[in-house]
Amino acid sequence: MKRIRIIALFLVVFLAALPLSSCAGSGADTPKIAVIAKATTSDFWHAVRAGVEAAAIEYNASVTFEGPENEEDYEAQNRMIADAVERGVDVIVLSAIDYNQNAAAVKLAVQHGTKVITIDSNVNSDLVSQFIGTDNYEAGIAAAKAAVASPTRDGAKIRIGLVNYMSDTANGQKREEGFRDHIASVGDAEIVASVTAESNAESATAGAKELLLAHPEINVLVGFNEWMTLGVGNAIHELGKGELVAGIGFDSNVISVGMLESGEMDALIVQNPFAIGYLGVRNAARLAVGDSVGDARISTAMTTVTKENMFDSDIQKILFRFT
Amino acid sequence: MRKKPVGKLRLRTITVLSVTLAMVVAVAISIAVFAAVYSNTVRQDASVSASQTVEQTEAAVSVRLDDMKDKLTTIGTMVEAYETVDAFRTRIEALTAIENEIFAVTVYDADGGILASVGSGYALKESPTRDLSFDKALYEGSDGFILTPPHVETLYEGIYPWVVTLAIRTGAPVFGSGAYIAIDFNFSELAGYIDRVGVGRHGYCYIVDSAGNLVYHPQQQLIFSHLRNEDTSKLSSWEDGVHTDGNVTYAVKTATDSRWRIVGVSYIDELVADGRDRIVLGICVSLLCCVLILFTVLRIYSRIVSRPVRELADAMKRFESSASDFHYTGGQEIVTELHTLSESFAHLTGRVRELMEQVREEETALRKTELKALQAQINPHFLYNTLDSIQWMCEQGKDAEATKMVGALAKLFRISISRGHELIPLGDELQHAKSYLIIQSYRYRNQFTYRFDVDESLLSYLCNKITIQPLIENAIYHGIDRMVDEGEIVISVHEASDNADDILITVSDNGIGMTEEQCRKILQKEKSDSGGIGVKNVNDRLKIWFGERYGITLQSEPDVGTTVTVRIPKVTEEGERA
Repeated sequence: MKRIRIIALFLVVFLAALPLSSCAGSGADTPKIAVIAKATTSDFWHAVRAGVEAAAIEYNASVTFEGPENEEDYEAQNRMIADAVERGVDVIVLSAIDYNQNAAAVKLAVQHGTKVITIDSNVNSDLVSQFIGTDNYEAGIAAAKAAVASPTRDGAKIRIGLVNYMSDTANGQKREEGFRDHIASVGDAEIVASVTAESNAESATAGAKELLLAHPEINVLVGFNEWMTLGVGNAIHELGKGELVAGIGFDSNVISVGMLESGEMDALIVQNPFAIGYLGVRNAARLAVGDSVGDARISTAMTTVTKENMFDSDIQKILFRFT
Repeated sequence: MRKKPVGKLRLRTITVLSVTLAMVVAVAISIAVFAAVYSNTVRQDASVSASQTVEQTEAAVSVRLDDMKDKLTTIGTMVEAYETVDAFRTRIEALTAIENEIFAVTVYDADGGILASVGSGYALKESPTRDLSFDKALYEGSDGFILTPPHVETLYEGIYPWVVTLAIRTGAPVFGSGAYIAIDFNFSELAGYIDRVGVGRHGYCYIVDSAGNLVYHPQQQLIFSHLRNEDTSKLSSWEDGVHTDGNVTYAVKTATDSRWRIVGVSYIDELVADGRDRIVLGICVSLLCCVLILFTVLRIYSRIVSRPVRELADAMKRFESSASDFHYTGGQEIVTELHTLSESFAHLTGRVRELMEQVREEETALRKTELKALQAQINPHFLYNTLDSIQWMCEQGKDAEATKMVGALAKLFRISISRGHELIPLGDELQHAKSYLIIQSYRYRNQFTYRFDVDESLLSYLCNKITIQPLIENAIYHGIDRMVDEGEIVISVHEASDNADDILITVSDNGIGMTEEQCRKILQKEKSDSGGIGVKNVNDRLKIWFGERYGITLQSEPDVGTTVTVRIPKVTEEGERA
């Protein structure tokens, strides 16, 4: 009888101590988050950074934002991932330069107990907690629709030239896939030729010019990221084909928006980089305190911006950033 | 385990239940009070801090707006002095170069046509797609200062900064009547300021106009893409101050020029939840303490109260079942009342035992006195008959016989009157019996014979006086008297065969015998048939002096005879057994 009472007492003490220890475990520290971007200089990444900072203030998180100088330097990214793990951050928010080459570093980080959320471009690993970004396939389709609707159509036939960047990144591939699939389903459009350039404006401009000179019948030229878009716009501008060739591009910066206004570009598929950065850090902060973040994939909206709607009060908010 | 009386609760159970209940209620009440106080404090702190933050922000925004108005007023005054547009433009170009906040100065005619525009060294577009700085409806509908929402500057080549436009009508002669002078102020700095305002742990600030439309929101990109919803519909009906809507606290402050209102949003739930861990910790600690205290208190309580009470109750129960050989020594209790109770009980039981002892002693003494008084009585019939016989013997000249009779009678009486000694040597008792038999054998001449069968070694042991005589008397009256033939009475004294410490005295006759009923009656007779000492008297005395084990047993069979056996211990000194 007495022994039962003592056992019962210990049970009660144990049960009482259980939440106590869990209380001590989950201190209300600020979550530490490392955002590792593909780059830090482009307008796209500036806007991502603005979203990152907004979420950092709102969720009281300690956030670092870094990215390699060269947008193709996945090795630098892998070093940054390792450094972040070393620093003991709770969550890494990564935009992978290379779908495959970044996977090992991500795996190592997750094995060390650091959670990983990918934004904008994913990595080839199922250890990633969540991917937040534009649905690039859908973005490709949106670009294709803009191409079909372009005002430069030569009679009935649309002849398209593609300017894409290094083929290892998931984003460009998906966009092109979506684009090609939609064009294939449209009867009066064909992709005449494509060129692959390095992910910078000079290389893209050279590639686009080459393409336009080799295939003068092209009346729609598509660039698949911010730099390819500039290349497309520059090529059209330099060859004086503003009236003959419709430029379709992705993302926006001051120059490409200027080209939209001045007619070299006809449509920009604009992502919501602020939302990508904001959601990435918000969900990282939630992960850090042990909350769930929902689906494995969150698609942020994209918007097709043309000269007609570019100054609408809502569109300006995503097209032009607050410096 | 002791049996629990049905329908009754043990003291310990009651104690445990009441203490536990008290603890639980106390903890529950303190948690409730604590939670209420905590939640209230958090809410108050949150609303105070939110309203302070919003007031600071409003002050900063108001200062900025006032500064902008000052600049516009300065330029508005300045323009009056110029006679040509070019002179004005030159002056403004110099101004925009040094004033970082001013991005562009534009003069519009009444319909929005640009009369002059200067923008921080950038080239004016030949045909702007749209001009967001001029809104005809807004301009015409405003008196005094005209303020647009933040918008993108659309008039200059290669640059799209966010600006707010502050405009005023100008009557400067150089531009003619109905003209507006508008300044596009850089908004990014103010936006950055608003972005950095954090309200509480998880809140933010935004700007609405007096109608409740969003002017600037740090997360306007999210609102645009429907990732966040900011319900501003209620704001227009709210006064400045702190408003709570559900879990959200809104602190509202209108800027001094009353066009913009600053709204601070904070989430009380999260502030409260922030403290939840601490509350949970507190509850856990207090529960743990309660359990420990409860256990300790119960242990102590059990030790000092419930155990002594239980022991006392058990003692009382034992006392109830056997009071005579009950011993109780309490006095170990710590609680005064229990100690008193226990002492009293000990005293009570001691007193009861004393009284019982006293009663028993008194009873024994009384019996002894009574029995002695009986012994002392001389049976007058017996005396008369004997004396009558002696007289007759004397008349007949039977001197020898008369002498023998008188001798026997004298011996008989000498023993009877030997006061002060209840116990006499067995030899004397047998002498007494012999004297009686001598006398009775004259009375019942030729009716019986008698003989003694005595172990001589036992004669010195003590025996109650007048033990054998009543048995002989009984044998004569109930056995021999009614016999036709001559009877025989045998008196024997031997050591008991079953116990070497006991002596058996038997008086047996071969008379008519008795039924069981008669035997019982004999043993209850206080007095003998002749008025002498009865068998019961003898038996009682034996038992009082020697104990219950000793006394008389009767064996009788009709027409065969009766044997009366007396068992006594081997005693050599009076008082050895009593």
